[in-house]
Amino acid sequence: MKRRTPLAWSNLTYERRKLVTAIAGVAFAVLLMFMFRGFENALYDSQIQLLTRLNGDIVMVNRIKYTMFVPEQFARRRLYQAQAFDGVDAAYALYIRDGAAWKNPQTKKVRALRVLAFNPSEPVLPLPGILANREKLTMPWTALMDEKARTEVGQVAAGTVSELGERQIEIVGTFSLGTDFASINGNLVMSDQNFIRYFGQVGPDEQSRSLGTVDIGLLKLAPGANAEELVQVLSDRLPKDVSVYTKEDFVKKELDYWRNNTSIGFVFSLLTTMSFIVGIILVYQILYTDVSDHWAEYATLKAIGYNNVYLLTIVLQQALILAVLGFIPGYLIALVLYDLTTNATGLLMQMTLWRGVNLLIATFMMCLISGLIAVRKVQATDPAEVFS
Amino acid sequence: MIHHSTAPSFEFNDIGLADDQYAVRIRNLSHHFGTGDLKTQVLYDINLDLKRGQIVILTGPSGSGKTTLISLIGALRSAQSGSLKVLGKELVGLNKAQLVEVRRNIGFIFQAHNLFDSLTASQNVEMAVELLEDWGEKRAKAAEILAKVGLASRVHYKPKALSGGQKQRVAIARALVNEPALILADEPTAALDKKSGREVVTLMQKLAKEQGRTILIVTHDNSILDVADRIINLVDGRLESDQSLETFVNTHDPKSLDRRMFIM
Ligand SMILES: Nc1ncnc2c1ncn2[C@@H]1O[C@H](COP(=O)(O)OP(=O)(O)OP(=O)(O)O)[C@@H](O)[C@H]1O
Ligand SMILES: [Mg+2]
Repeated sequence: MKRRTPLAWSNLTYERRKLVTAIAGVAFAVLLMFMFRGFENALYDSQIQLLTRLNGDIVMVNRIKYTMFVPEQFARRRLYQAQAFDGVDAAYALYIRDGAAWKNPQTKKVRALRVLAFNPSEPVLPLPGILANREKLTMPWTALMDEKARTEVGQVAAGTVSELGERQIEIVGTFSLGTDFASINGNLVMSDQNFIRYFGQVGPDEQSRSLGTVDIGLLKLAPGANAEELVQVLSDRLPKDVSVYTKEDFVKKELDYWRNNTSIGFVFSLLTTMSFIVGIILVYQILYTDVSDHWAEYATLKAIGYNNVYLLTIVLQQALILAVLGFIPGYLIALVLYDLTTNATGLLMQMTLWRGVNLLIATFMMCLISGLIAVRKVQATDPAEVFS
Repeated sequence: MIHHSTAPSFEFNDIGLADDQYAVRIRNLSHHFGTGDLKTQVLYDINLDLKRGQIVILTGPSGSGKTTLISLIGALRSAQSGSLKVLGKELVGLNKAQLVEVRRNIGFIFQAHNLFDSLTASQNVEMAVELLEDWGEKRAKAAEILAKVGLASRVHYKPKALSGGQKQRVAIARALVNEPALILADEPTAALDKKSGREVVTLMQKLAKEQGRTILIVTHDNSILDVADRIINLVDGRLESDQSLETFVNTHDPKSLDRRMFIM
């Protein structure tokens, strides 16, 4: 059996304290990358979490509503028109009010919530908490509260009574959604009838709403219908004051908006890159120190007939061992911190397999680059110098 | 005594001896360090033959070029001019990769033991066996040679748990395990006390004689001269003298020689 003396492993693990420091260094760099990537993804993921949960194959919005931030509605009759097309099974209307004034029942401080409203008999936003409380929503002056709303909103449970827009409101249940940039504090869900009760007649500075205009229209496809084709047909045949998208495209458009029009991507890519570089420097230090400490021994190996390729593999093996040993604790700590961050901020910090694999590859790259820089030192060793 | 003016050549008269009876044949070897204005010559027109099976000690003042010469013979440096045949192979003009190949047939012993602290005595020796891709028997070979250098009970000790002399003996085991025909040692006893130094050299002598190896030892340590068949003196980059042990002792000031060697 071909079993080489495990020189890379032996040298790396010989001094326990050095090994622990080395692993901690790599783990720290890995953790930093996970956190920055995690924040970046969370900001993107949060922006689309409502959209991905809406129950529709095709989305219809006002032509100028290029992001969820734009509070423009379209005429509800467009939705009826769309429903008449072949292949459309159902059409639902979603009404949205950004910045509704909610009074914290404990502190009495006013916080802005986003109100999502629809006909409770339709499965517009089929979340467990909403489905379970459809009956209760039909009662006047009621709503459901987002469990992931920020703590500033107050302690809210079924039965809590407070105020929305200076009018009494009773919370009849809760659901779980989460915050985003348009709903920094959280969401309320109510029936379309209650939406009119609260926002049908408001002060002169605000826009009064009716059920004649819709914020987001959702179309369900009949079995066998093709979403892309239907989007094409609807776009051609409906008046040009609305835009029609497949749900997938609509979500992607929203993501693109955040990617292209904010510095989120740039800032977090920069931070991630910096962590990557810090990692390279740390690992380089570790490998370089090992090479320097064993300089005479490596030179001796060269003297007795080992070539540079062998020494290269030793250093690269050490780099890869460090990558694996550092990645594991970095990953585990990141999982814990993701959880803590999600609970503290309501931001959606998600670890997916793909994201984990991605950063594992980045960690390997990080260590390999360090290894390649450090190995130049070994290659430069002159075997003749062991004799002097 | 031969002087600087004439370049001495040694054992040229053995014309009858075929090439393969020499471990080393050197003709008109010179060596320079540096380039341009800084170029300095450290070896001048060396002619030297080492017969197989000989134990040769190379002495001389500090800076005379001993290490340079032995590192050229050991293919650790590129030989520049003249001819340098080691184990039948001409080294002048070889590239780095070819030099590495040559080195695999030579056993090296250095002043420092240069053992990996993280590896056991056996593993340090096995590293040399692995060069021959000899995977199956490396354990057995290492254990055998370590037993020969008197470390049978220390096979799985790491260097930190060994004395200086024991560490140097592991280094010797590493140099000898592949049974090289030529062994080069530069000040192998310099880091050891007199007694362990003596033991190490006697051990080298014993193993070499048993197996017919050629050994070239560079040393300042007069107490070990008695193991040599020949003593070569290098002064200012030139071969000064080449003598048997007795002649060397007689022609040198006895005061500079270690008295103890006469007792032994
Ligand atoms: N790499 C080098 N570059 C330039 N000059 C060198 C180099 N190595 C040795 N020299 C010079 O070559 C000369 C011979 O050096 P060398 O090391 O061979 O002497 P030595 O006989 O081994 O001495 P010592 O007994 O002190 O070990 C010295 O003058 C030294 O300064
Ligand atoms: Mg020297």
